[in-house]
Amino acid sequence: MTASALTRPGERDRLSTKITELDWRIVGLLCLIAGVGAAMLYSIAGGQWQPWAADHLIRFGVMLVVMLGLAMVHPKWWFRGAYPLYGLLLILVLMIEFTPLGYVAGGARNWLNLGVIRIQPAEFMKLGLVLALARWYHSHSAQEARWSWKLLIPAAMIGLPFLLVAKQPDLGSAMIIGLTGGAIMFLAGLSWRVMAAAAAAAAAAIPPFVMFVMHDYQRNRVLTFLNPEADPSGTGYNIIQSKIALGSGGVLGKGYGLGSQSQLEFLPERHTDFIFSTVAEEFGFVGSFGLLACYVGIILIALRIASLAHSHFGRIAAAGMTAFFALFVLINGAMVMGLAPVVGVPMPLLSYGGSSMMTVMIGFGLVLSTRVHRYAELPKGQGLF
Amino acid sequence: MSSEPSIFFSDTNERQGSFLRRTFVIGAITAVGGVALTGRLAQLQVVQAGEYATLATNNQFNFRLVPPPRGRILDRNGVVIAGNRPSFRVLVVRDETKDLDQTLDLLGRLLPDTVDRRRSIIRDVNAAPRFSPVPVKSDLTWEEFARVNLYANELPGVMADMNEARFYPFGGSFAHVIGYVAKPNDRDIKAIEDAGEKVPEILYNPGFRIGRQGVEKAFDRDLRGEAGGNRVEVDARGRVVAEDVGGSKPPVPGKDVVLTLDADVQNRALEVFGEESGGCVVMDVRNGDILCMVSAPSFDPNLFVGGVPSSIYRALADYERLPLLDKAIYGTFPPGSTFKMTTALALLDAGIDPKERVVCTGGYRFGARTFRCWKAGGHGAMDMHSAIKNSCDTYFYHLCNRAGIDRIARVAEDLGFGQAYEIGIAGQSSGTVPSTRWKRAYTEATSWDDDGTWYPGETLSVAIGQGALSVNALQLAVMTSRIAHGRKAVQPRLVKAVGGEARPQAPAFADLPFSDQHLDIVRAGMAAVANDVTGTAYRTSQLGLGDIQMAGKTGTAQSRDYKAGESRGPRNAQWSRRDHALFVAFAPHDAPRYAIALIVQHAPSGGSVDAAPKAREIMKTVLLKDPDMRARIERPLPPEAVAPVGVDEGDAGSGPGGEVVGPAAAAVAPPPPPAPRPAPAATSGPRPYLSEPPR
Repeated sequence: MTASALTRPGERDRLSTKITELDWRIVGLLCLIAGVGAAMLYSIAGGQWQPWAADHLIRFGVMLVVMLGLAMVHPKWWFRGAYPLYGLLLILVLMIEFTPLGYVAGGARNWLNLGVIRIQPAEFMKLGLVLALARWYHSHSAQEARWSWKLLIPAAMIGLPFLLVAKQPDLGSAMIIGLTGGAIMFLAGLSWRVMAAAAAAAAAAIPPFVMFVMHDYQRNRVLTFLNPEADPSGTGYNIIQSKIALGSGGVLGKGYGLGSQSQLEFLPERHTDFIFSTVAEEFGFVGSFGLLACYVGIILIALRIASLAHSHFGRIAAAGMTAFFALFVLINGAMVMGLAPVVGVPMPLLSYGGSSMMTVMIGFGLVLSTRVHRYAELPKGQGLF
Repeated sequence: MSSEPSIFFSDTNERQGSFLRRTFVIGAITAVGGVALTGRLAQLQVVQAGEYATLATNNQFNFRLVPPPRGRILDRNGVVIAGNRPSFRVLVVRDETKDLDQTLDLLGRLLPDTVDRRRSIIRDVNAAPRFSPVPVKSDLTWEEFARVNLYANELPGVMADMNEARFYPFGGSFAHVIGYVAKPNDRDIKAIEDAGEKVPEILYNPGFRIGRQGVEKAFDRDLRGEAGGNRVEVDARGRVVAEDVGGSKPPVPGKDVVLTLDADVQNRALEVFGEESGGCVVMDVRNGDILCMVSAPSFDPNLFVGGVPSSIYRALADYERLPLLDKAIYGTFPPGSTFKMTTALALLDAGIDPKERVVCTGGYRFGARTFRCWKAGGHGAMDMHSAIKNSCDTYFYHLCNRAGIDRIARVAEDLGFGQAYEIGIAGQSSGTVPSTRWKRAYTEATSWDDDGTWYPGETLSVAIGQGALSVNALQLAVMTSRIAHGRKAVQPRLVKAVGGEARPQAPAFADLPFSDQHLDIVRAGMAAVANDVTGTAYRTSQLGLGDIQMAGKTGTAQSRDYKAGESRGPRNAQWSRRDHALFVAFAPHDAPRYAIALIVQHAPSGGSVDAAPKAREIMKTVLLKDPDMRARIERPLPPEAVAPVGVDEGDAGSGPGGEVVGPAAAAVAPPPPPAPRPAPAATSGPRPYLSEPPR
């Protein structure tokens, strides 16, 4: 594909052209990570495809197709759909709270039973938030984004789902929503001074929040993180066992399928939140570092894609998605290594779990769409729909 | 990228410029985060890898203790008197059960008797560490065992296995000597901790037992063995996933302990006691081996192994004949007339002529009090021989103060009274041998209302084995052995070998300070007791084993003091007010091999009627088990073929005990000429005691 060919009218809208414009590095790295995830799930099931590995691969395969399909969707559709999607998801989150369709699983009221399927709207809310914010910033000037009363609107768009999800209580998701929103406001050009003030206020608010607002089990998680040895068989167990799994892996690891911590079930949640520890145990520092490098690689490539977009919507949406992905990786990584409290954030594409995989793959569909349609311009101030 | 359109509007430009810088910051933050995580990974996986590898191994591997088989206790002939038998049991692991209550409900349907003990089972199970199996029932029948196994799948956390349980095949016969084992309790563990030792982990193993009494307790360390271990791989729930054969250590079985006891004699002894209460000790005169040490009535130590039900324990503890008390070494009794040999030796030692006669008129007036002889009509003129034969009290009343209490006490101690012996097990009483010194010390210690001087009148009581004198059956057997042996102060021995290593015999026995002439007089008196038709135990101590005969002495001892004005009441009305019956004897009386001492507590009659026949039966068993004795009994007796016992029995060469081999062998070198066997009741002439010619 030559530059001149792309300049021909209509050439960029051809499917074949679009496909060649896909960033195959990202697709390859995503497949690699999902493949490693399936391999680890196969290993910790004792060399069985059931109950996790097969599911994981099938879900990934389906979502891969969905992602590539979404990559072909022109950003104007994303743009048009942003507010309706956000609104719909907000309604779903509200339904959890205020209708009997919401139900409790694992201590938090964060599932919605729609009869046909059961979903966790909080997961998709993150996606909707990124799109909605991107659209809002697309229509506003740099000056407005830096510091103006209009910033109350994006602040409300972040704050509303944050509070609703925090109330479920799903603190992990709420935190991700808050931080993703914050990252987007930052990317869009929020004043450094405002940011510093907000960060200081947040830091000051954390101790009273932990002591007075959190539920006991949440407070325990935080206190346990600060001193995991205080209750090694209780709340500190997860962190201690995860660190043992990591450390005992050594440089080269114990070998595939030979991780005693994972195989003998000392490692809790080893197929979901703590799957990174399994990789680290069986493949050692070499394996865990390699995996981490893949994640960082994806993030940097995606940020580059964001920076190349011509539309501000595309830039903000792609970068926001990337920030959202990066938060997952860093928080989960820090958690399994004992650097952050146990908050229930999975390692994207590695951990077993449908909602998280769907969100991440749809998000990368958006990133890839931004890449494929990087020259697309979107009119400013387009109507609501 | 040069072909990409440029930005036209300043605002758009500003927006894009700001975005690019901020994106760069986000990228940098991500990179820093990645580096930080990598640093943390390096710290955990490279720097601290060793530490965490150890922790993972601790998680992964468990050392399951394998209890060692407890050493057996054998009798002198290798008969097992304490062994191990397989026992099926059911265990519950709390953390593997879904719901303990529900599990116990189901278990109660399979094993109905666990329902009653449910409360204590729950307590045990909750007290145990996680994942450690707690036995809820032992000694299942095969059917119960099969039933539990059949339903094992429906009862998670319940398992049935086989272990070894202590077993005492002879029940009560050895109960007091070998004791029993029981589950270690907090006090046992505290005792070990107080001694500054580390508590062996095996003590916490369900089903492990430690010795509680007797040999089981005294030799617990030897019998216990060393626990082995299986290195097993476990998962997070403590379930064994695999066994690591290379890391396993087999247990070292406990050492066997061989006793000098003879199971047949022991069983016979308990049998002849019937319902009577008392103790009996049989010793080998030559080397002090205890062949029999029995206390009656007894109890079944098997009941104590699994924890004795309190109803049974109460019944045992409350029975007035005290089955839990060891009457062979712990219970002390006044020796009564069995003490008269001691008094006689003291008299001889004081230079009193054994031919001197004392006329017995049925009592002896001393000071304001008349000391009565047991025979109200009196025995008439008595010399020492006839005084022993007839057990005349008056003779000893009359002469004892010429010997003096301290001389009697010294002889008593030389003969073995007033001391405890090193027989390897605890629980001996040393009894009391009164003397002037003893009385002073006793008075001081008890602030007794007395000035502590010894009154000659007290000597009279001691001379016939009453008063403050108290002895146990073992001491009586030692005394009899020493009189029979004549030369050496024989020491009793109970434990023959531990773990195949022979326990050394007592270091060369000390010499006895009695002359042969004096001993001959006493032994002749004892022979007359049993074999002279006028002896006190003539009827009841005939063995009926050819020419093998016993020499003995009866005793009937008052069991309590009667205060002035108090009546003894109708004779034998109350068990606890009856006299004790005693009998000591050795056999064969012409070449002593075995000595017996037997006490019947609160016997219906006296020593000759209640104690002697029992001793005779036991002695018969002992003699018939000795091949030399059998040879002597079964041998036809052409008069000319009768050689001196010491030679034809063939044991002169080997010697009765290690320490007499030398002189015996030297003395036998010129065999003495054949001589006619002395008459059973003969009191004169050289007697081949112990196969040795007199020195």
